[in-house]
Amino acid sequence: MTHTRFVPRHIARDARTLLVALALIVGLPTTGSLAVRAHAQAAPDDAQAVLDHVIDNLRGLSERATLELSVERPGRTVHYRMDVVSDGNERSLVRVTEPPQQAGEAFLSIGNNLLVYSPRLGRSLRLPPSGRSNAFLGSDLSYDDLAGGEYREQYDATITSRDADTITLELVPKPEAPTPYGKLVFVVKSASYAPVSLTFFDQRGNAVKRLTFSDFQDVQGRTIPQHFEVVDLLREGYRTTASYQDAQFGIAVPERCFSEAALERGCF
Amino acid sequence: MAIGTEAGRVTRRGTTVALWRLAWRNLWRQRRRTQLLVVVVAYATLAIIFLWGFIDGFMNGMLASQGRLVAAPVLVTTSAYHDDPDPLHPLPSLAPLERAALAQPGVRHVAPRLEFGALLRSPYTSEGVMARGVDPAREASVSAIPAYVTQGRMLAGPGEIVLGKGVADRLDSRLGERVAIDASAAGGPRSLGLRVVGIVDSGTPVVDDATALVDLADARRLSGVSTATGLALDVPRGRESSVAAALQSELPAGVHAYPVEQLIGQLARAVGWGRVEVTVLGVVFSLFAAITVTSTVVVSVLERSREFGVMVALGLDQARLSTLVTLESVYASVLGWLAGSIVGFALLWLFSVWNVFGPLFSGLYGSLLSGISLPSELYTIVRPEYLLYAAVTIALAALFAVLAPARRVRRLRPAEAMRSE
Repeated sequence: MTHTRFVPRHIARDARTLLVALALIVGLPTTGSLAVRAHAQAAPDDAQAVLDHVIDNLRGLSERATLELSVERPGRTVHYRMDVVSDGNERSLVRVTEPPQQAGEAFLSIGNNLLVYSPRLGRSLRLPPSGRSNAFLGSDLSYDDLAGGEYREQYDATITSRDADTITLELVPKPEAPTPYGKLVFVVKSASYAPVSLTFFDQRGNAVKRLTFSDFQDVQGRTIPQHFEVVDLLREGYRTTASYQDAQFGIAVPERCFSEAALERGCF
Repeated sequence: MAIGTEAGRVTRRGTTVALWRLAWRNLWRQRRRTQLLVVVVAYATLAIIFLWGFIDGFMNGMLASQGRLVAAPVLVTTSAYHDDPDPLHPLPSLAPLERAALAQPGVRHVAPRLEFGALLRSPYTSEGVMARGVDPAREASVSAIPAYVTQGRMLAGPGEIVLGKGVADRLDSRLGERVAIDASAAGGPRSLGLRVVGIVDSGTPVVDDATALVDLADARRLSGVSTATGLALDVPRGRESSVAAALQSELPAGVHAYPVEQLIGQLARAVGWGRVEVTVLGVVFSLFAAITVTSTVVVSVLERSREFGVMVALGLDQARLSTLVTLESVYASVLGWLAGSIVGFALLWLFSVWNVFGPLFSGLYGSLLSGISLPSELYTIVRPEYLLYAAVTIALAALFAVLAPARRVRRLRPAEAMRSE
């Protein structure tokens, strides 16, 4: 716990912005991958089973890609470019390449632990819980928002509508679930279970932010969204977009990519 | 020669005694003037004594009141936790410490606490807090916070959270809504969803802007600590330091009992500065009283020029005459000091057992001074040293008497003085 006190303010601030990228990166291949396996299965009638199919597809697809991220705020936009590598399960490494002032900063996520490397400090630091869950100033989404593996444990799902094109799932938190949201509404394509949108509601029934998936492409036989948009529905002009470039899925990722050495120096 | 010297000493001693007697007698020759002097000094003495007793009582009341809000009358914790409030430094065990504390005379109740840094999340924002895990059934006996739950109710068990009004406002969380709480335990990050069941509105910003009470069981799940970080003790007001000191000998190495003064150091330091300011105020008060006494004596000397001229003409040297005037000032000041002390201490004692000022101040200034959470019980303090503080008036009066009226008497020309009206 003590280590959290020594995270310098500028590192924490930069981390906040970049964690959006991390969240998206971890979420993208998983949400994309759900379209793959579910596609081959018969459409389940039970909402929990649909969710299970979604979650089951959150694991196992390794990737290497470049991600372009834009964080828009009223009057300004910040662009990031970063290299991403993930084993498709609980480990991912993100290294920032642009803009120059942030280049070299890196994030290593292993399960619930999140480490950040600062080239300015020349050292790695373990982030406090806020590193995973804060609705950060520089972003519209947190890591936990897209940590899809927790949906199954934390929410009860029901199908609220279903037609030829889409299935709408409503996820309501279980008692004591560590989420502040009142419910999530997840829209997926009926045919492929590819995600279309994910809307977060507060406990008063108001939508607070929406994640939209688009630009679907078949990659190695899988339907994966290549573009993402997160919109803060309570504050005008707050938007985050992310696009994949040169994504490679199902590749062999070396173990050294998920070490503190890789966090500081990279692994390719 | 030796006989002559001895005779001279006897003569001087006799003259000195005669001067003392004469000064005393002079007081009562001019009763109105003496009464005026005595009343002035008595009033100053009374004011100084009461001022000190009231200020000390107010400070103590505020300290105790704030102590019960922010900390506890006495807190048993590890010295490591006291220096670095991290749950990595918990109490080694609870039961033996509770037994030791309850066996200590003066300890009325004990309640475990587990404090840990946490992040609270609402759908709109997040807020870092120092969360306090408590036993809901016992916390009210050692803390004033449960009494300030103005919306909803106090915790009843796990799965619930009570927030300070400021925290709830910033999170935009309302009663019945859930907040997520994240903490770093020794085994890694842990999270829970807790329902807001109560809002604390104490009027004290440091409490309302930081309070997050959770059940002890939830705190243990979040922090990974199986015991507690502290054991809060309820002891009678004013006995915090003595009970903590007495309990210390019963505690194992590395565990300390901290009285409220040490737990809220910033406020205690502020109280210390408050006493310094009151000291300055008291000295100024004494100064004005002494100046009043001196000016009365100066007028008296002017009025008694003829009398002093006759006394010098009859053989009393002017040095002794000035001593006489100084003695008269000192006598009047001592009489006033005695009278003021008796009345002052009587008032202090009365208000030390009768809670008049607590309701009065809360009613009059409660909303105006909401930031410092005026104590509901406000008693004056009675301390013997106030006599010394008030005696400064006498010392100053004597000093000024030497400097002004006595000096004037020394320069007196008998022939001119006897001709004056």
